[in-house]
Amino acid sequence: MKETPRDARTRVRMMPGAITLNGFIGKDKRSLPEIIAADEVKLQSLNRTATEIAERMKYFVDASFSTFDGKITIEGIYVVETEVTRGYLQCPYSHGGKIRKSTTCLTNTKTGVTVTWTAMNIHLIEDHGFFEGKGSTYRLEPEQLVKALF
Amino acid sequence: MFSVILKDVALLSAIGVTLAVIMVIAGRLLSNYGQCKININGKRDVIVTGGSSLLSSLNDKQIYLPSACGGRGSCGACKCKVDSGGGPLLPTEKPFLSKAELAQGNIRLACQVKVKSDITIDIPASIFNIRRFSATVSEIIDYTYDTKGITFKLAEGEMIDFKAGQYVQLETEPYNKVKQRVARAYSISSSPQINDSLQLIIRYVPEGVCTTWVHQHLKIGDKVFLTGPYGDFFLRDTEADIIYVAGGSGKAPIKSILEDLAVKGTSRKMTYFFGARTLKDLYLTEHMKSFEQVFENFSYVPVLSAAEPTDNWTGKTGFVMPYFKETIRDPKNTEAYLCGSPGMINAVTKALMDNGIPQEKIYYDSFG
Amino acid sequence: MDISSFVLFWAAIFTSNILLTNFLGMCSYLSVSKEIESSFGLGISVIFVLTITTGLNWLVYRYILVPGNIVYLQFIVFIIVIAAFVQLLELIIERYAPALYYTLGIFLPLITVNCAIFGVSLFMVIRNYSFLQSIAFGAGSGIGWLLAILMLAALRRKLKEKLVPVGLQGVGISLIITGIMALAFVGFSGIVQIQ
Repeated sequence: MKETPRDARTRVRMMPGAITLNGFIGKDKRSLPEIIAADEVKLQSLNRTATEIAERMKYFVDASFSTFDGKITIEGIYVVETEVTRGYLQCPYSHGGKIRKSTTCLTNTKTGVTVTWTAMNIHLIEDHGFFEGKGSTYRLEPEQLVKALF
Repeated sequence: MFSVILKDVALLSAIGVTLAVIMVIAGRLLSNYGQCKININGKRDVIVTGGSSLLSSLNDKQIYLPSACGGRGSCGACKCKVDSGGGPLLPTEKPFLSKAELAQGNIRLACQVKVKSDITIDIPASIFNIRRFSATVSEIIDYTYDTKGITFKLAEGEMIDFKAGQYVQLETEPYNKVKQRVARAYSISSSPQINDSLQLIIRYVPEGVCTTWVHQHLKIGDKVFLTGPYGDFFLRDTEADIIYVAGGSGKAPIKSILEDLAVKGTSRKMTYFFGARTLKDLYLTEHMKSFEQVFENFSYVPVLSAAEPTDNWTGKTGFVMPYFKETIRDPKNTEAYLCGSPGMINAVTKALMDNGIPQEKIYYDSFG
Repeated sequence: MDISSFVLFWAAIFTSNILLTNFLGMCSYLSVSKEIESSFGLGISVIFVLTITTGLNWLVYRYILVPGNIVYLQFIVFIIVIAAFVQLLELIIERYAPALYYTLGIFLPLITVNCAIFGVSLFMVIRNYSFLQSIAFGAGSGIGWLLAILMLAALRRKLKEKLVPVGLQGVGISLIITGIMALAFVGFSGIVQIQ
């Protein structure tokens, strides 16, 4: 699938050192639309949508904000911890708005799967269906994510 | 063909140059007002070459009054107070001034006031104060394994005027994979009485563009740029009791507030809760404890939530919230200042309100 | 053009009012018309600058641009001539007649960018006016502009006490009024036609 000029500009902003230290692409050689399309196929086979996943992630982040510090257990089986640092990041797709700098670590004690995501991940999944490139620091595998969240 | 183009260009240039020469000569002869001094808010003098508008003279000195029309006198955004040296009010300004402003007599449009002599003006402090400062790293202290205190000495003659609790933006220089400058916000941790330098407390964040640079690349003597001050997290001037709550690098603004109060003096009852995980996350404990001798009624309470057995911690443990009750005398007359992550702010705000402290008296500086 | 300068002068004021028929010089027209006093000062300056720059540009056109065969550069040349002249005038008035400066001079920078001034210079070329005709047309256009802004300023003063729908306050209602005034001025067009 070909990249539009807009995708190409976005890709530049996803490179290491532009918005974050290591970028969003990792070692992935595919174009942005290809990465997104591949993950979408994966999601369909798992019977989930990106919006659904993002909503669930937001729910856990908000819930983890009810504790002063450290881990919190939600719905009896999810152990969640969010760490926030000061400041905001911009979305590489360059529409307005600021994205918080936070990392959330969730362990599903029933399935034993642990995933770590950032506020940027949630935004990219919700608005752009983008789970980041293979080899990127915060790449989220839809399969793992679904196993951990639901 | 080529000669035609050349001739046309030459002719056009000739017209342009002739007019330019006339203008330059006229400017020299007619518009020479020498060096003029602009006194701003009674705090700072800037020297400018007279003859141009106040707006553009200030722009040259990196003081940016708002202006939408670019100085043509059609937007009225560049209003400021001119206390002396501005000449009479001009008919170009009148349409933009309200009755109250006309009555006040010294409200002018900066784009219409010409600087022809020394002039005294008043502009909003926020505009006047926010500037880009060039500075040099003069000291780096390791507070903990992941937190450094870095002191920046401002360039010769530069002064920063800020309120304890405000923050500045630090610009990184390009390094390794990072090809462009990025700006990140950090609270000022030094006291506002020191205005030729400032200290920031910066905790290393894995994957952080700026903190990685600060922790791994920044050396004493390096030149950096800072912009600020920003923010509305600062101590309210009342007589109420105070509870401070900080976590992680949230110590910085509280340190600044306490050092400011140490100079000004206060008899307010103050309690400072610092929430950390283990002993190695605690820093500046001696310094904070020393304030208990400085103020009449101050106590510093570090609370560890996950103290290691090897820490031999004898102080308070768990979260800070259960300890509020014993320090609050009169909840309606207590203010709270919080600095930390949204989780901490949420939990602490809830606990404070449960203890009867009104929501409007809880001030916070949230990280996210 | 064999139209007499005298007719041209009156035509420029009424039937071909530069503002109300060509809608040139709108920016300062809308922003300064809040006050009658300021409008008058600005209008007088426009008359003065228009008359002189039209004359100057005619000379530049006739004796430099046409012989030099660079008529196609007239836009640039006219603009720099106007800008330089206005600047010069401002400097002189400011230095030697401070009183005049505070009543008229301060409007001059606003006029440099007034498209009515430039527009008149271009009309003069397109319609092939003689020197005398140009001066008359320039002065007439200036007076016409003064007339228009004074009328608007007077109306806006009345408007201050009237209830205007929120969305139309300020520039909105001024533009509607200008439109109605323009319609009224069309009524004059039977007297004489210049094109």
